Amino acid sequence: MHVANSCADAGRSGSEVFTLPHDRRGDDPGRYDVTMDPTVELIDLLGASRVHTHPVDRIIYAKDSGVTAGDPAVIVLPDTTEEVAAVVRIASRAGIPIVARGAGTGLAGGAVPAPGSIVIVLTRLNAIEEVDEIGRTAWVGPGVVNLDLSRALADRGLHFAPDPASQQSSTIGGNVGTNAGGPHCLAEGTTAAHILGVEMVTADGDVVIVGGEAPDEPGYDLRGLIVGSEGTLGIVTRVLVRLIQNPPDVVTMLLVFENIHQAAQTVSDIVATGLVPAALEMMDQPMIVAVENFMHAGLPTDAGAVLIAEVVGHPAGTVVEAALIEEIGRRNDAREIRTAADDDERALLWKGRKNAFGSIAQSAPDYYLSDTVVPRTRFVDVLDEIYAIAERDGLRLMNVFHAGDGNFHPLVTFDASEPGMSEKVINAAHDMVHAAVAAGGTLSGEHGIGLEKRDLMHLVFTPEDLDAQARIRDAFDPEGSLNPGKILPAGARLTEERDA
Amino acid sequence: MAWVTDFAPTTVELNACIDCGLCLPVCPTFGVTGDESASPRGRIAAMRAVDRRLVEVDERFAEVMGLCLQCRACEVACPSLVQFGRLMEGARAEVAAQLPDWRTVATRTVFGRAIASRSAVVLLSWVVGAVQRMHLASVLPGSAAKATALRTIPLPVPTTAGHEWLPEGEPIGTVGFLAGCVMDQWYSDVHTAVIQVLRTAGYRVVAPKNQTCCGALAAHEGAAYDAAKMAAQNVEAFDGFDLVVVDSAGCSAHMKGYGHWADGGDDLASRIIDANELIATLLDADLLPHIEGDTPIAVQDPCHLRHAQGIAEEPREILRAAGYSPVETDPAGTCCGAAGAYQLDHPEMSAILGMAKSTQVRATGLNLVASANPGCEMQLKAHLDSGTVVAHPIELYWDALRSR
Repeated sequence: MHVANSCADAGRSGSEVFTLPHDRRGDDPGRYDVTMDPTVELIDLLGASRVHTHPVDRIIYAKDSGVTAGDPAVIVLPDTTEEVAAVVRIASRAGIPIVARGAGTGLAGGAVPAPGSIVIVLTRLNAIEEVDEIGRTAWVGPGVVNLDLSRALADRGLHFAPDPASQQSSTIGGNVGTNAGGPHCLAEGTTAAHILGVEMVTADGDVVIVGGEAPDEPGYDLRGLIVGSEGTLGIVTRVLVRLIQNPPDVVTMLLVFENIHQAAQTVSDIVATGLVPAALEMMDQPMIVAVENFMHAGLPTDAGAVLIAEVVGHPAGTVVEAALIEEIGRRNDAREIRTAADDDERALLWKGRKNAFGSIAQSAPDYYLSDTVVPRTRFVDVLDEIYAIAERDGLRLMNVFHAGDGNFHPLVTFDASEPGMSEKVINAAHDMVHAAVAAGGTLSGEHGIGLEKRDLMHLVFTPEDLDAQARIRDAFDPEGSLNPGKILPAGARLTEERDA
Repeated sequence: MAWVTDFAPTTVELNACIDCGLCLPVCPTFGVTGDESASPRGRIAAMRAVDRRLVEVDERFAEVMGLCLQCRACEVACPSLVQFGRLMEGARAEVAAQLPDWRTVATRTVFGRAIASRSAVVLLSWVVGAVQRMHLASVLPGSAAKATALRTIPLPVPTTAGHEWLPEGEPIGTVGFLAGCVMDQWYSDVHTAVIQVLRTAGYRVVAPKNQTCCGALAAHEGAAYDAAKMAAQNVEAFDGFDLVVVDSAGCSAHMKGYGHWADGGDDLASRIIDANELIATLLDADLLPHIEGDTPIAVQDPCHLRHAQGIAEEPREILRAAGYSPVETDPAGTCCGAAGAYQLDHPEMSAILGMAKSTQVRATGLNLVASANPGCEMQLKAHLDSGTVVAHPIELYWDALRSR
């Protein structure tokens, strides 16, 4: 098998921050006894143009948008569920682990392939079929791009609510895998609330459907288990999505503050009134500057923080809600409040927000983006702690927040070619997660656990909790071949201790 | 072996990409294949792998680079402002230097040497012109039959370089004019229209004799040393002109990037203006008249106008001034698959994209299309019904102006 030179340093940061694989019975990295080279069989199945084994391709597919690189042996691009199932059967016979991949825009390393694995790229399964306008559902391929789905439904007045910042690129399959969020998940809920069922290929290569159109399917809610499972329980090949009617009126506001405390207090005050805006987003000053450099959206680069607030619904309601947000903003000394005059202005505001991560490369060659959640009442305290950690380590910090639901995205920019810098950044990021968890928050808002947060799982779960999760995984994937090394940390199982 | 030329992508340039993946959906080849190796981010990963000496510049690397259309749609989508067009030209230069097979040598000879030589282009033009007149195209194999989608080349073959045109009426200034290589002889109607419109506005138009091909095709095909030589010659030829007008999108986009190619290139680059830009400005300033009318016309955006230079409104403005009502065909402005020599190199991908584009044009129900680039014009004609007319916006404006 073709596993020559290591691609471990193929990532842009050039350093192996997390190690792979880690998880699996006995947590034995040498467990995979590759008994045969599956390449010939895979080429017979898919043709040479849809099977890659060259070192260049293995590096191209070594990572997602995060910081860590893996090292796949083979990359395949199936067109159908049947082809996915056939690939899984070939891999299973050969004893090779499998990693599912969509657009590769994940930030937590969920699609980083274990050494010697087969990457199954699902972008080509991109049909939108069986749109039920009355029942507001559709069966779609996992490779459908999030924004393409909403665009395709626009003339029917429908959309898919989860809108991660990556929505112009990320796929529905990836959204399902990570239980993706997005600005508009504040009112609508994350991806889990919008997935009614999935068709998936199991670890043995069988095709099953879990969930369905009924509001309350009998039996276990396996659908809920699959959403957010990052390809560790099965390979999702079709998705039954819930669609949302486009609101009759949308009001998008930009609130400008001298400092971030005023903005944070505004968020707390809005939430305290019981009003749930469709979205409530915050950017701090360094982030505003980076975004404005790229977007020229007219953001005030001297402001300490801006809030983007959006309310939707019947015009009679949005007027009242917008007025309330404006009043709260003024009470907290907002120096300026703008309302988007039309769809173009609204689109520009959102484009600025959604390009935030990409635009930071102008300030340093590398970045590390974290994803944690804190109770909204502790928002300001945790924010202060996060800034203090960055200052302590002399790191450049920018912040974007899904402020409405307390989801922080502290973003550190750095140069990984400086010796020891990557480790320093990861440590600081972990300290930030600790601060959030200590304040009653949790590990991840929407990016998933992947590799990035795997070893922090013990912060929020007891050994018994982790053991229970590991047993669920084993029930779906007894051989441990589906995306090994993700989500669960080493030693997640208590089996041996109990047996002893 | 890593890199061997002065044009190779640098570590700093490559590090500008942070792997966010926001370029994927705008990349035409990723759209067709769904394959990261056919995406801008994947291509950068491959270049980085060579830069870090993890892989060699080999056949597969060449294939990955070769599939890129160089449409530069990814540059517009990139929040990190990665200069992808420049990186790809550097990577192509490396492929040409390290893997000189017969095909790359042939391509480099044509685009690096032959088109810089007026006599070679004249000879070729004469042959094509003769073939067109003898209706021989139907018996030619594959890509050569594309000549049917070309305009009929006038015989004797015209040339623009070494000529100057005096303004009509009140003079407002002098502009330099790029004659170009194939544009000069194969699309001489467009040259005529641009020059006449500029004269009408009051410009003296000078096409200096010692100029040469802009070098865009050479740069795209990896003939970097030839491209650098052509850039240097043009820097000299256009010295002293405050403004140099270029009427082919591929050429104006390339010349605006001359800073990468020659000493003094930045200075000339700052004086380059695409003909669409200049004429739209003249219309705004009422130095050219607006002609009434609202004949619907489908609009196609050349990538090197819209993506590489951000020029999209200007050709529409010119069409409106010519008495047309522009009808949009593709809000995303996806590449039509022409992409210079690409249609010869990658006929299959080129045809997929050409058919997608022609489907969008057909959906308008119109048989009149405006396109401001010769390559796109050929591609559209090849994929549209024979009754469809494809014309340059400035040509249409000149027609309207003189038949007033």
